[in-house]
Amino acid sequence: MKTICRFERWRRVDILLVAAAFLLLAPVLSVQRTTDFMIFCIFVLAYDLLYGHMGRLSFGHMLYLGLGAYAAALCAEHLNDNPFFALFAGTLGGALAGVILGPIVVRTTGACFALINLAFNQVGYFLVVAAFAEWTSGENGMSASFAPIGGFDLGNRYLMFGVTLISLLVVVLLMRRLTDSPFGLLLRTIKENERRSIFLGYNTYLYKWLAFTISTAVAGFAGALSSLNYAFVTPSFIDPARSVEVVFAALIGGAGSVYGALVGGVAFMAISNYLPNFVQRWEMFLGVVLLLLVFKFREGIWGYLLRLQTARLGEKSR
Amino acid sequence: MIGTIAYGLTIGGILYIISIGLSLTFGTMRIVNFAHALVYTLGAYVLVSVLPRVGNLFPVAAVIAVLVTVPLAYVIERYVIRQLYGSQSIDYAIIATYAVLLIGIDAIKWVWGAAPISLSDPIGLAVPVLGVELPLYRLVIIGVAIAIFFLMEGFFRRTVVGKIVVAGLEDREAVRSLGIEVDRYFTIVFLIGSALAALGGVLYAPITSVHPYMGFQVILVCFAVVLVGGLGSLRGTFVAAFALGLVIAVTGRFWGSAAETMVFVVMAVVLIFKPIEV
Repeated sequence: MKTICRFERWRRVDILLVAAAFLLLAPVLSVQRTTDFMIFCIFVLAYDLLYGHMGRLSFGHMLYLGLGAYAAALCAEHLNDNPFFALFAGTLGGALAGVILGPIVVRTTGACFALINLAFNQVGYFLVVAAFAEWTSGENGMSASFAPIGGFDLGNRYLMFGVTLISLLVVVLLMRRLTDSPFGLLLRTIKENERRSIFLGYNTYLYKWLAFTISTAVAGFAGALSSLNYAFVTPSFIDPARSVEVVFAALIGGAGSVYGALVGGVAFMAISNYLPNFVQRWEMFLGVVLLLLVFKFREGIWGYLLRLQTARLGEKSR
Repeated sequence: MIGTIAYGLTIGGILYIISIGLSLTFGTMRIVNFAHALVYTLGAYVLVSVLPRVGNLFPVAAVIAVLVTVPLAYVIERYVIRQLYGSQSIDYAIIATYAVLLIGIDAIKWVWGAAPISLSDPIGLAVPVLGVELPLYRLVIIGVAIAIFFLMEGFFRRTVVGKIVVAGLEDREAVRSLGIEVDRYFTIVFLIGSALAALGGVLYAPITSVHPYMGFQVILVCFAVVLVGGLGSLRGTFVAAFALGLVIAVTGRFWGSAAETMVFVVMAVVLIFKPIEV
């Protein structure tokens, strides 16, 4: 009982722990890289709301990240170069995509859901690379410059780090509130058995649409942050072939848990940043690890740690 | 315009040949088999390697390419897909087959290199059709696709194996309760589907170039074909493949880079009018 209480106590200060972890990571990896890690973590959190909690595997989530990134960059170029306005525009871009595509996408489940997202991602990629090349400068990518406001210049990487860290903490809080709420519970019942939730009188279609839109909006926000961070947007931000990265991150961390998403985001970024220095066949490595995850290690790192912890608890109470 | 239509029918024929396997795995197991794209790509690559060794005899090389890739398909089915049967693991099956595709693409890049390889038209003759010169090879592809359609119809209507599979598509549990090992028949169908995918890769290779990511693009279009045609419906797949092939060709004529994107737009429209699945 006492150890459970201790776990609860840790959970109460989890925001501080997350902040401390990334602050410690920054001097180890360099500030800029840690910013990168945190942005990816926000993306994984957005993705995991759909995959881990609602049980819908999307294979085209790069679309929403990319839309956010391009919305932010285009907004800075044509409307207003206030960086916070760009963040808002990116989030709005992601949310709009969710509102518009949601009614089509959430009609489906399983394999259809995964591939429809992938198909839309392909359409988005085409729009960026070919159809709107005049504005996005196609394959070459576009630069995004933001004006400093009141002495705040987000070109300063320490400041950017701070903004990203605060954003991450807000997203973690939001996701925790969401997944602990009745809404989160309903999402999990949809994952377990949607028919029964309908039978209980819930309009699951609406809730799925809402969850999808939240996920795309947060993904768009992550995209806008990364266009602030790089001051440059390339089609690789919306490349459907990269969609598997976030699936991988969610799996390796442990799907269906906010902390799992954070662990997965950091683990994936660490692997993808440092491993190519040692391993030449990166895609093959990714594939093999994915197979291992699917067959032997479905709970992910966080799930494994939790299980160890509960096993210890069980032994103690006995 | 006749040239465009003929091109669309050629693409449609190839899409149909590749989509059969996809449609069957989708219908029987509810699994999207990304590894299908690997079989398709590998078929084209084996063809490229074999062709000079058999004195540039295209049909011989094509048969060898298909035969070489079938064992690989068996390994994938036996050790990856069959391990993931069951209703709870649809997502895992998608991820696992995608992982196989990643590994396979990297292996292909390792062996053959990443540069695109182009092949020349194996027949090289053109015939006049309604006043337009059309490459004979493309007409042959359309013919092969139609022949395969009738073979498939015969297989599923006249042979016992085919009938068992059709019944299994309808209700797997009921067929199993008759004492028939459905899974074994599904394996046979899976292998047929994979062989056809390899054939699709072989036939398509002379029309475009052979490159490691060729499967990734095609599998998406084929998925659209399967969805538009109706899951597990072979006639629907046939009609949808040719319809979407024409969509690609006609769009491509007016706006080249939009050709494949248009397919997904059509798919989205079809999905809007489909009932919601739970």
